[in-house]
Amino acid sequence: MAERRSGIDYYGVAVLLILWELAPRLGWIDSQFFPAPSAIFAEGAKLWADGTLVLHITVSLKRTFLGLLGATALAVPLGFVLGGWFPRFTRFLSPLLNLFGQINAFSLFPLFVLFFGIGELAKFSIIFWSCLWPILFTTIAGVQGVEPLFIKLARSMGGGRGALLVKVLIPGALPSIFTGVRIGATVAFLMLIAAEMIGASSGLGWLVHNSSVNYIIPRLYLAALLIALLGTMLNYSLHWLENHLIHWKTS
Amino acid sequence: MPTRAFVSPWSLSRWLDRSSLLLFFAAWELAPRAGGLLETFIAPPSVVLMTLWELLLSGELCDHVTISLGRAIAGFTGAALIALPLGFLLGGNFRTFERIVTPVLRFLGQVNPFSLFPLFIILFGISELSKEAMIFWVCIWPILFNTITGVKGIDPLLVKSARSMGTGVVPLFFKVILPAASPGIFTGLKMGAGTAFFMLIAAEMIGASCGLGWLVWNAQINFQIPKLFAATVVISVLGMILNMLLVTLERRLLGWLDSSPNH
Amino acid sequence: MAGVVDVPQQIQTDAKIVVKAITSVFHLKKTRTEPAREFIALKEINLEVKKGEFLVLVGPSGCGKSTLLDILTGLAQPTSGAVYIDGNKVTGPALDRGIVLQGYALFPWRTVRQNVEFGLEIKKVPKRERRAISDNFIHLVGLDGFADRFPHELSGGMKQRVAIARALAYDPEVLLMDEPFAAVDAQTRESLQDELLRIWEATGKTILFVTHSIEEAVFLGDRVAVLTPNPGTLREIVKIDLPRPRHNSDTRSSAEFGWIRRKIWELLQNAPHESRHHLNAVPVAEAISPTASL
Repeated sequence: MAERRSGIDYYGVAVLLILWELAPRLGWIDSQFFPAPSAIFAEGAKLWADGTLVLHITVSLKRTFLGLLGATALAVPLGFVLGGWFPRFTRFLSPLLNLFGQINAFSLFPLFVLFFGIGELAKFSIIFWSCLWPILFTTIAGVQGVEPLFIKLARSMGGGRGALLVKVLIPGALPSIFTGVRIGATVAFLMLIAAEMIGASSGLGWLVHNSSVNYIIPRLYLAALLIALLGTMLNYSLHWLENHLIHWKTS
Repeated sequence: MPTRAFVSPWSLSRWLDRSSLLLFFAAWELAPRAGGLLETFIAPPSVVLMTLWELLLSGELCDHVTISLGRAIAGFTGAALIALPLGFLLGGNFRTFERIVTPVLRFLGQVNPFSLFPLFIILFGISELSKEAMIFWVCIWPILFNTITGVKGIDPLLVKSARSMGTGVVPLFFKVILPAASPGIFTGLKMGAGTAFFMLIAAEMIGASCGLGWLVWNAQINFQIPKLFAATVVISVLGMILNMLLVTLERRLLGWLDSSPNH
Repeated sequence: MAGVVDVPQQIQTDAKIVVKAITSVFHLKKTRTEPAREFIALKEINLEVKKGEFLVLVGPSGCGKSTLLDILTGLAQPTSGAVYIDGNKVTGPALDRGIVLQGYALFPWRTVRQNVEFGLEIKKVPKRERRAISDNFIHLVGLDGFADRFPHELSGGMKQRVAIARALAYDPEVLLMDEPFAAVDAQTRESLQDELLRIWEATGKTILFVTHSIEEAVFLGDRVAVLTPNPGTLREIVKIDLPRPRHNSDTRSSAEFGWIRRKIWELLQNAPHESRHHLNAVPVAEAISPTASL
């Protein structure tokens, strides 16, 4: 958030970690259900050493990025074409697009499994589907929200369609598109974990599911923490990218 | 533009506005009739409606809807009951404490609910409680964070001017702080309710023996295509109704706000 | 409609800009069912601007001055009549006319320099040359040292200077300015006016300046064209004989200044009587200016 955070603010994290470490050791809580951070860390070190951890992380990240990239590659150009060149057609389509955007992506998962089987394609398609709508909607809104004065000015200088697109519409719509990509990435990661829990043989979601089935509680915690960390990092890196690409924005 | 002069009359244009939906449903109805794979995998709307009618008559649909809604409401209410008072305390009275716990809370809020679901199952078994705990977890964070932001964002001048008129603590809370923080609170409740329903379906797919999510998943496993489509339609429609209800409620309650489309 | 009247592609003239019998009609509807109503934004406007002249169009909002400027830019087509630059009919926007708009319209994602170079990029001027030109014009408007700032880091007056530099950079012979100083505070406005006159004298451009401030019109212009609304008609062209170079400090205090100001004010007050009944229709006309859409 906008507030500046100092070292003091992270005391909370430290205190929590210490309490969590002590509680199972002192018998306050059942260490079977709440393993201490050290136990989780040990489990992590073990999986790291035999390489499985890296494998699951890369698999999950790869799936997320593939879905996100695929959705972006389709939604952004489509949004420009719809929002910029065919405003009437967009108006005509908008109830349908809204309908698709509102449908709970999870309820479609069985359908996707039905169509594409339980393999990679089903996972790709669910992520693709759930990223597609936020990116498409924000792109259309971004293109249509470009200040008309800018367009008027560029046209008054005799700028053609190409110049208008490259020099005015794309930079003008970029902040809005980025919001869509960020929302998409968050949703994608969430979907991925669920999809991996339902049907996969690798990935962090599978790790959670597998640990719970085999009752390996520290590994379950490890996977859950890793997913949270990865989600946070994904979010931060997109923020970072946004700030570097759109540095001209006022705070 | 000259074309503006020829806009069709209101009622007709309204139909035209919806025509893409009509076209979509028509395509959906006709596609399976083409035979082949489409016929195997897609149930046309007419069949879906019939299946829905049968499910309704047998009482099956009602049972699943009631169960799903019951879970969602239980988890949501529990989350609101805890998050609202906590949000007011953290945002209003204990600012320093709030600063210290916020990073922890933020991280917890980032924890993917799905990765916790197996844990809830281990802790609570495949009972109602595990599903409710999941919804509770999903709802509590948006409500809490938005309440804190809402309370912290109250213009101090409002409080000051109310105080100067000799307002006591209780009226101050109900007449100034609560309404001033209500937009933030409502945003949180809305986000919570929206995600609650969304997550519930997933949770029911992963670990449940009844409810709408289970109905969808079970239909898929047993290759009952019409039932699968019917359940998907019910979930989508319920989600949209929920959305519409929330928007209407927000308009009613927060009509005094500048209506900006990006809320 | 009336556009079928044949207008010559070229005319013989010494004037830089010739506005010939321009009429512009909009079809308005308040609701979707109501039949379209004609609104005459401009009626039979005739105007000539000499090379190097500073001509000001003054009039209340709704007199069609922005529409006229859009037609001059080439962004809008008149219902009948034509505009000629150097005797050639205007058919669309081009870089022979620079434009400065009311709301600055600086691209927020471009630095001061990149904004100034915008027209040069469209003209496909090589990078090195662009840089020399933008340096020159950034210096001319007194913004040395701000070249790499983004618009949100500038004050209103500075933004307007950038907009002027941007319009001058691709070296148009005509500068069209649509209420450029309307958004800045009074003091900044006066210094920008002084600055504009200095730039005009230094560059020798032909300027057509639109404003609703009588005072601004009298201070800046060689001649002031007074427009009255409903329908937008050219009421009179007033010649301003105030000596140049003018400065805000002394020009405004002269008796002659006050006299001309008074005269223009009376011209605007004694507009044909029917106009007042239609005043409510005016903002609509401005809003549907055909250039507003993409």
